[in-house]
Amino acid sequence: MRAVLIVAHPDPGSFTHAIARRVSDGLVAAGHDVIVHDLYAEGFAAAMSADERHAYHGDVPVLDPLVAQHIADITDAHTLIYVYPTWWSSMPAILKGWFERVMVPGVGFVFDAKGKVRPGLTNVRRLVGISTYGSKRLYIKAINDNGRRTIMRAMRLSTGVRTRSRWLALYGIDSSSENDRSQFLDRCERMARSL
Amino acid sequence: MKALVVFCHPTHDSFTGASLQRALAGLAKGGHDVRLVDLYAEGFRPELSRDDLALHTSDWRAHPDLRPDVRSHVDDLTWAEALVFVYPTWWSGQPAMLKGWIDRVLVSGVAWQLPEGSNRIRPMLQHVRRLVVVTSHGSTKWVNALEGEGGKRVVGRALRVLCSPRCRTRWVALYTIDRAPLAKRLAFLDRVERRLQRL
Repeated sequence: MRAVLIVAHPDPGSFTHAIARRVSDGLVAAGHDVIVHDLYAEGFAAAMSADERHAYHGDVPVLDPLVAQHIADITDAHTLIYVYPTWWSSMPAILKGWFERVMVPGVGFVFDAKGKVRPGLTNVRRLVGISTYGSKRLYIKAINDNGRRTIMRAMRLSTGVRTRSRWLALYGIDSSSENDRSQFLDRCERMARSL
Repeated sequence: MKALVVFCHPTHDSFTGASLQRALAGLAKGGHDVRLVDLYAEGFRPELSRDDLALHTSDWRAHPDLRPDVRSHVDDLTWAEALVFVYPTWWSGQPAMLKGWIDRVLVSGVAWQLPEGSNRIRPMLQHVRRLVVVTSHGSTKWVNALEGEGGKRVVGRALRVLCSPRCRTRWVALYTIDRAPLAKRLAFLDRVERRLQRL
């Protein structure tokens, strides 16, 4: 089954990218067909343009071929996985922009006859978020984990009713030990194998 | 009060654009000193780059010339006593363009410091005494509550902890905008002006 991995970190040598590689390895080992979208490497534009904003509620809301490719990949996916560092209690701008530009009407959600919002990605049955945090867990809980909420709640509502969701977090990364990080990578790969 | 208004919408021909005009009118009536930043109009780059990241923990004040495209923004940030964000709520938070301003402009040595070996940042925006958000939501207040009001928490908590301990936050939001009758929208715009006048 198809899994799409969305990675948002500017440095290919980062821990975020190390996580993405291990997750991809795990998915391949479990027999999944994996598509990795490295947003920075692809030059994905974070900001929705004025033209896209004008087209948003029209018949053709997608203007960028790269966005169209992402849409084609996720509308055919069983599993959707996001890997990113949490900045200012939320996702990096480039990933926030992915939601705004890819999850447009007709993709992430559809309007029914009464104008109510209905889920658009009922094909997605596994939704996974993996993030690293500078702060400790309790601090994140107090400040609120807004990236996690956007994915586990807003995005979750765009998928099927029985979609299972998972969240993996490495807190306090700046003071974590080599061992902590290595264990976390193992955990990510195990999770990917079990999807 | 010295108010930095950060406007984030691709067009001025929008309800957010109308909200901005009324916010500016209110600030003028209140006799506030205003600086306006229009992120889309200036073509601000929201993606935090690898070079930005390499400088992430180094003190801005030691190398203010290394990131020329955020320099004026950092100057505005150090000048401000009030931060006023005017934007539409998309996917339960700030548009990517505005999140990028937060990611790139709140630099070390200006907005925060990370003491050696610590996990907790030390706040440096003590001169900021007001945080104001003017926004509109497509979905209902109930759905936003269910989704966790991410945008509200980014400003009210993550940014709030950087500011003066006595900083007050103002949340001026119109929910269910797509189905709001004209009278309700107009009443909201009046509210924006009143709120910003008193700041």
